[in-house]
Amino acid sequence: MTAVSQSFKTDLLGSIPSLRAFAVSLTQNADKADDLVQETLVKAWDKHESFQPGTNLKAWLFTILRNEFYSQMRKRGREVQDSDGIMTARLAVHPAQHGQLDLKDFRGALEQLPEDQREAIILIGASGFSYEEAAEICGCAVGTIKSRVSRARTRLQEILKISGEDEYGPDAISAQVTGSNAA
Amino acid sequence: MKKMTKDTMAGAAGRRRAGSGDPLGPNSEIGRKLKQYYDELVSDHVPDRFAQLLSQLERTEPAPKKD
Repeated sequence: MTAVSQSFKTDLLGSIPSLRAFAVSLTQNADKADDLVQETLVKAWDKHESFQPGTNLKAWLFTILRNEFYSQMRKRGREVQDSDGIMTARLAVHPAQHGQLDLKDFRGALEQLPEDQREAIILIGASGFSYEEAAEICGCAVGTIKSRVSRARTRLQEILKISGEDEYGPDAISAQVTGSNAA
Repeated sequence: MKKMTKDTMAGAAGRRRAGSGDPLGPNSEIGRKLKQYYDELVSDHVPDRFAQLLSQLERTEPAPKKD
């Protein structure tokens, strides 16, 4: 048993903001998120010896946090946070104007995604992990992450009524907004 | 309002598929919002309880475990 090194502790401290962000993304609840981060830190501390220095600490911590999240969910028999009905009703998103998508609307849309898709798109699109790292964190194949990200992205576009993602020509957008479901 | 022809739309869809190098990159509205959402969370003030927790863990390092 080796003592926890000072640098490990410092790195742990430094990763708290990311851990909290990931935890909020998973739980969609600030209090639960902080409890989850606390659990994660305790676990990480206890098993610090299993961390291999030189490897990605953030990925290691995210893995712990994620496992903790899912095991808690299983324990609680998955108290459904089914936001669907509520959020959909509340959302009533107006067509996204060029670059004007409201962050609140986005948050609401994100909440509607199934956990597996939400975590995948967060890990890839926001936390800065590679597909390989995300696959390792989630314990699944790289292809699975890719398809989850892609489904998440499509779903978000649907909810937020964004289409033609890569073109910002006002024409393309207004055509899609006004043109209804031509296709 | 300008009307879009079917052709233009098809072309647009084609380009979209072609430019799929980084579908969540800076050219993607979803990608940008995602980062904005997350950055806001990351920059949130960290409560003291976490630093306290680590200090507490440090003080109470468990007795040596054998395995």
